[in-house]
Amino acid sequence: METTNTVQSSPAWGTLLGKIGFNPAGILCVFLLMALPFIPPFNQEYLLRWLIYAAFIATLSVGFDFTSGYINIVNFGYAAVAGYGGYTSALLAVNLNISPWIGIFIGGANAAVLGLIIGMISLRLRGIFAACLSWFFGLALMGLATKLVWLTRGPLGLRTPRMFETESNIPFYYLIIVLLILTYVICKMVVNSKMGLAFKAIGQNMDAARTSGINPVFYRVFNFTLSCALAGILGGFYGHYYGILTPEVMHTTKTVEVLAVAYIGGRGSLWGGAVVAFPFIFLMEIIRSTLSHLPGLNLVIYALMLILVMIYYPGGFSHFFDVHIRQSKNKILRILTGNA
Amino acid sequence: MIVLETQNLTKQFGGLTAVNAVSMTINQGDIVGLIGPNGAGKTTFVNAISGLNPPTSGKVTFFGEDTTGLTPEQMCKKGLSRTFQIPSPFPKMTAIESVMTASIFGNAPGVVKDPVQHSREMLDFVEFPMAEDVLSEQLNTVQLKRLDLARALASHPKLLFMDEMASGLSEGELSDIMRILDKISRKGISILMIEHIMQLIMAVCNRLLCIQFGTKIAEGPTQEVANDPRVTKAYLGSAD
Ligand SMILES: Nc1ncnc2c1ncn2[C@@H]1O[C@H](COP(=O)(O)OP(=O)(O)OP(=O)(O)O)[C@@H](O)[C@H]1O
Ligand SMILES: [Mg+2]
Repeated sequence: METTNTVQSSPAWGTLLGKIGFNPAGILCVFLLMALPFIPPFNQEYLLRWLIYAAFIATLSVGFDFTSGYINIVNFGYAAVAGYGGYTSALLAVNLNISPWIGIFIGGANAAVLGLIIGMISLRLRGIFAACLSWFFGLALMGLATKLVWLTRGPLGLRTPRMFETESNIPFYYLIIVLLILTYVICKMVVNSKMGLAFKAIGQNMDAARTSGINPVFYRVFNFTLSCALAGILGGFYGHYYGILTPEVMHTTKTVEVLAVAYIGGRGSLWGGAVVAFPFIFLMEIIRSTLSHLPGLNLVIYALMLILVMIYYPGGFSHFFDVHIRQSKNKILRILTGNA
Repeated sequence: MIVLETQNLTKQFGGLTAVNAVSMTINQGDIVGLIGPNGAGKTTFVNAISGLNPPTSGKVTFFGEDTTGLTPEQMCKKGLSRTFQIPSPFPKMTAIESVMTASIFGNAPGVVKDPVQHSREMLDFVEFPMAEDVLSEQLNTVQLKRLDLARALASHPKLLFMDEMASGLSEGELSDIMRILDKISRKGISILMIEHIMQLIMAVCNRLLCIQFGTKIAEGPTQEVANDPRVTKAYLGSAD
């Protein structure tokens, strides 16, 4: 009786959750993330810091994939845009005493304007050229953050108020998990609408898209604006969590970190990067801390992993998941992945 | 009624004049064949009208309206569709999704109530031989051309450009295409088809336009143009 009940009531829930991009396995992941700070060894503060950083990269990878996985433009300035939002919020807090809780959204809005500008300027450019342009934007922003010492204190770093007045990492952890879920749900709902079809069309074949009646200007600029807005908010979180912001956060290597996670997770899936980020960042932190006498080795490993995935498994983790788990013969796996 | 008219349409790429002052008309119900040797400027001519590569000079009139230099998306909404010489719908989309792009974005709001259903009808109409959820990148050229045609038809065109729809087809596939062409024409859609296969052209076209080195050398009823000595010399002679 009970089983039939749950089966009958599940479709309504299932469709609602499906709309915002969750299947039962996704819900399990969310619960796992919620419980993680209480499960040893993750209840130690230093591991919690790693978790927060992983969730931060995971969230950025969702916003990054929203652009690269759909309209097919790699925004190499993505970390710089996040940093730009972070500096906006930090400067508002430092100079005008504006609460970080408001500041991060102003930072997001400011980053959105930047995204709008990058989107407009890169409109006439295709693929690799648009990617370069966003990269140059990123370099210029980082240059500004480094050189405008009177404003940003340059490499010394800008001290910012934290969002919670506590030594504990737990509130920050839950905050970033909420941001992760919100970012994912927003992006997923947009790509599930007919807008997603337009994104994919202009990303996959600009000429065919245009002759099918799709105006690339609107969709491209909209996509850039939204993904940059999300990055700006996340940059604000970053600054108000660590309590200090340096131009390093805008470095291209940060974007590459996000890109690696998004690609290994599976382009165009949105969720792949979010899932892969956790084991990946942990692995990297372990390597970094055990091989601290070899700085930069983690970058070599990023590069190697990216190359291997690009060559042998370009679909990434989400493709693996779709083929071997979602469509597996095992009934339980299929129910868990919403494919019963 | 005149569907399309070009006046001295010219397209230059740097120093190269790919289309040189071509004037022509397409009337309602016409199936016009656009012929000419390789590199004559046929694709460029079509691109200049449909907006993918706007003309350097000259004028395009579509249903009495000056549409020179409009974008492809604007031309699509006005009722001009096209297929591509190298058919390349969206590689990572399924067949039905590829057609849905034009069903949703190529029509005025409210024209297509159910895009999925409409796209399905288009795939049936072109006798698409595969399942609707097959990925485009898994299709061969012949199947891709069918899919591209379904996509082009989904936006309710009044005029359809087809760029070498039949090249590389077998005898049987050729008669399929003729049947489909006939169905399209009976829907009231006028057609301009770039084609090298004379058998097909002679069977379906009521008018021909022949260009060489970007310049029009003949335009008129099919038999007349096909027998024109300049055309035979420029095109038919060099073809074999
Ligand atoms: N984007 C471009 N830039 C520069 N030159 C071009 C461009 N597109 C076409 N051309 C040139 O314009 C001329 C006409 O090319 P076009 O593709 O229109 O010929 P075509 O008649 O369609 O030939 P085919 O039968 O081989 O398809 C060619 O010399 C070609 O090299
Ligand atoms: Mg051509």
